[in-house]
Amino acid sequence: MTITRRDFLKMSGMFAAWTALASCAPSELALTPTAPALTALPPLPLDDESLLVHTLRRFTFGPTPAMIEKAKRIGLSAFIEEQLFPESIPDDATDKMMDQFTTLDMTPAERFKLEKKGLPVQELISATILRQRHSERQLFETMVDFWGNHFSIYIAKGGCKVLKTDDDLKAIRPNALGKFRDLLHASAHSPAMLVYLDQATSVGDAPNENYGRELMELHTIGVDSGYTHHDVEEVSRALTGWTVVGARDRKKDFGAYYFNPDIHNNGEKHVLGIMIPSGGEDEGMMILDLLASHPSAAQFISHKLAVRFISDSPSPEVVDSLAQVFTQSDGDTRQFLRALIQSDAFKSSAGQKFKKPLDFFISALRVTDASIKLNQRNGRMLQKHLELLGQVPFTWSPPNGFPDYEEYWSTTSGLLDRWNFGMLLVTNQIRGVEVDLNQLTKDAASAQDVVDVLSLQFLGQLLPDNARSILVDFASSGNLDANIPSIAGLILGSPHFQMR
Amino acid sequence: MNTQLSRRDFLKLAGSFAVAPALPTWMPRMAFAPQGVEPLGDIIVVVFQRGGMDGISAVIPHGDSHYYENRSALAIPEPEDGSDKTGIDLDGFFGLHPSLRPLKDLWDEKTLAIVHAVGSPDPTHSHFDAMDYMERGTPGEKSIPTGWIGRHLQTAPWQNESPFRAIGMGGVMQAALRGPIPVTTLKSISDFHLQGDVSQLTEIRARLESLYNLGSSLDADAVETFNAVNILDKIDVNNYTPSGSAAYPETEFGMAMKQVAQIAKAEIGLEVACVDIGGWDTHNQQGQLEGELPTLLDEFSSGLASLYHDLGDRAKRVTIVTMSEFGRRVKENASDGTDHGHGNCMFVLGGGVNGGQVYGQWPGLAPENLFDGIDLNITTDYRDVLGEVVEKRLKNPALSEVFPTYADWKNLGVVRE
Repeated sequence: MTITRRDFLKMSGMFAAWTALASCAPSELALTPTAPALTALPPLPLDDESLLVHTLRRFTFGPTPAMIEKAKRIGLSAFIEEQLFPESIPDDATDKMMDQFTTLDMTPAERFKLEKKGLPVQELISATILRQRHSERQLFETMVDFWGNHFSIYIAKGGCKVLKTDDDLKAIRPNALGKFRDLLHASAHSPAMLVYLDQATSVGDAPNENYGRELMELHTIGVDSGYTHHDVEEVSRALTGWTVVGARDRKKDFGAYYFNPDIHNNGEKHVLGIMIPSGGEDEGMMILDLLASHPSAAQFISHKLAVRFISDSPSPEVVDSLAQVFTQSDGDTRQFLRALIQSDAFKSSAGQKFKKPLDFFISALRVTDASIKLNQRNGRMLQKHLELLGQVPFTWSPPNGFPDYEEYWSTTSGLLDRWNFGMLLVTNQIRGVEVDLNQLTKDAASAQDVVDVLSLQFLGQLLPDNARSILVDFASSGNLDANIPSIAGLILGSPHFQMR
Repeated sequence: MNTQLSRRDFLKLAGSFAVAPALPTWMPRMAFAPQGVEPLGDIIVVVFQRGGMDGISAVIPHGDSHYYENRSALAIPEPEDGSDKTGIDLDGFFGLHPSLRPLKDLWDEKTLAIVHAVGSPDPTHSHFDAMDYMERGTPGEKSIPTGWIGRHLQTAPWQNESPFRAIGMGGVMQAALRGPIPVTTLKSISDFHLQGDVSQLTEIRARLESLYNLGSSLDADAVETFNAVNILDKIDVNNYTPSGSAAYPETEFGMAMKQVAQIAKAEIGLEVACVDIGGWDTHNQQGQLEGELPTLLDEFSSGLASLYHDLGDRAKRVTIVTMSEFGRRVKENASDGTDHGHGNCMFVLGGGVNGGQVYGQWPGLAPENLFDGIDLNITTDYRDVLGEVVEKRLKNPALSEVFPTYADWKNLGVVRE
């Protein structure tokens, strides 16, 4: 008798429940029976403006005054609910900006012809920067960034130069607010991922373990979940045959995923104590389902999301309760985010996350209302600045993605580069980027006004008195107008602007 | 010294010592050390090969027939005199990959030693855990938050308030450097200065210093940054010409090594430099004599040799140590690559090194001698190598604090007292 994938899904659900009972700590068990069924966020306290600014800082690449205004007007929970359904938010201006890029809609074969000039890579990075800077669908973009970094692919590796575009557009974006299982399947079928982690060239008689290992260690259940080297070998055997149409295959759909039974390692496999019957491509499908619904994946993904959106070291309690939501909603990202936003841990975490370089860079562009003209040369120059700051999207070469810890990024050269970038930005010394400080400060008459107007514009709130008086003192010395760019640069360079 | 000192405490302490008058800020060890005592050990340069170097391709055990049985596509041919398509013989049993040619002279001069079948004893095949353990210096144990170099700096019998006492090249702080002693991270000396409206730079800087003196978690890093800017402003970077036969590769690694030489020569208090070279995770099409791994080995060896030659006489007081989180599987895979393994080799280079020897006991590559039946066994704990360097070359006797979970020390004799 062969077990179909549908049967197996049922089985793996049972497996998940069984494992939860068998291995979870008592505190988790106590929470098991009822987790709130969240279909939409209940109203959040409206009078608390700092909670509103805090929430927007975490779920946008920098809240602009217009966004803060809108959230105040319609209420924070309604604002977040709208953001959770990005297709409901018109974003024509951003879509139109994508028209300048020629390679996004191309097939891999078409991109391949332009690869020598580096065009597909540069365009995908530029498109990402522009979307993060301009899109009205900010929460969506933060999740695209999160998952893209979770399923990290080094764009400079071989075929990834032409394939990562499809990973972004067809695997990550369609699933960024969906079910984790669907996202995992999309990633596992993504040619860029299979090339990046050498799955595409893994053949049955001596499988390559790169993808099989990282699939468990980094994408799903985590290194501490107790899998063994034997599990890695078995997963790697099962996944042989998951490959990509290569240049030498002379087939029409170059760069597409396909299963090649000729290089598959046949026979049953045993993964995490579960027997996977011999079944070609279905073996891998079953393993993905098994991993997506594994209790360790709920813990691992919940912890990572909590690190991104709450603090560098979230408490085990909040991770446990989020993992419950993850499990009970079958890995539903929207449900998860609703629970996260309502948690006390989130509400009390304002200002605790250090901006990664990309967070800093995009937020500086957003709050200064910078206009960006990205021809090819400007695009490259802008990427150079981002490179100096340390985080060009898709260029982290190991498979674990850019770190998200203050300890990693708060370095001497890191701070200096931020101070310098802020100054260059507000003095219009970055090619292709323009900031109009006169416009931003047109209603400010005094030194105090300038500092306050720019603080509200950049930080969403006034600076605390001690920092404010340092800048007011500077603004008052000499010619106010001449001091404005330096004041603006100092706010972007301040410790306050480094946190989100 | 109290080893529980927090970084904040240390900064205060360092501040209170910093009153020694009329000394350049970058010669602070004079302010700590009693007159007439020479507290300094070597400068140590730690090169981390991230991704897991294939140690049996770098230093080939050509005398072990099982090497050739396991590596039908990737094995480096047995040394033949005058050929650049074979291994370079070292001692009749081991040989260098031909792309490591720049290291052969240093071997012959006896300034380069190799340790083989060495590594961290924890069996993990995870890059990230393996690197983490290696850099903490506590394999299998994640509860100690500092790195081995951080603890060395903390427990050394002298102190040194130079912001260039410890540097992390590449702009990030290597985990080995974690600890209470501040570290300066650096991508490029020439870019390390404050920008902005030139007529207002002094004012801008003063206000930034004030903004970073209000109690944020970033204050200590900012202080380090300002101190580092002060010093680097005085170094002429544009007219730097490496000495000797140094020809640094034009890569991130090569540039990092070159800047280490500049900082060492500038005499601004350098004790420790960490440099990374990535790309060693060769699962697929690793390359035998040409390709991914040979290219990396070439870059790696010319970077090491250039730094050594560039330092000239100073190399007598510099020790360069290399490591990688694990070696690679003895048997190659079917995509002409190698998967994650266990034992590896390390290079130790410097004036105080007993070079021209391969240290360690070779466990053999016969199936029954492999770790878990698949990997090169580890017969030398990497801490034996580092411990010896810390004690004999860096002159820090506090090994039980630098490597707190290790007790089973073995004397290798890889460096001189």
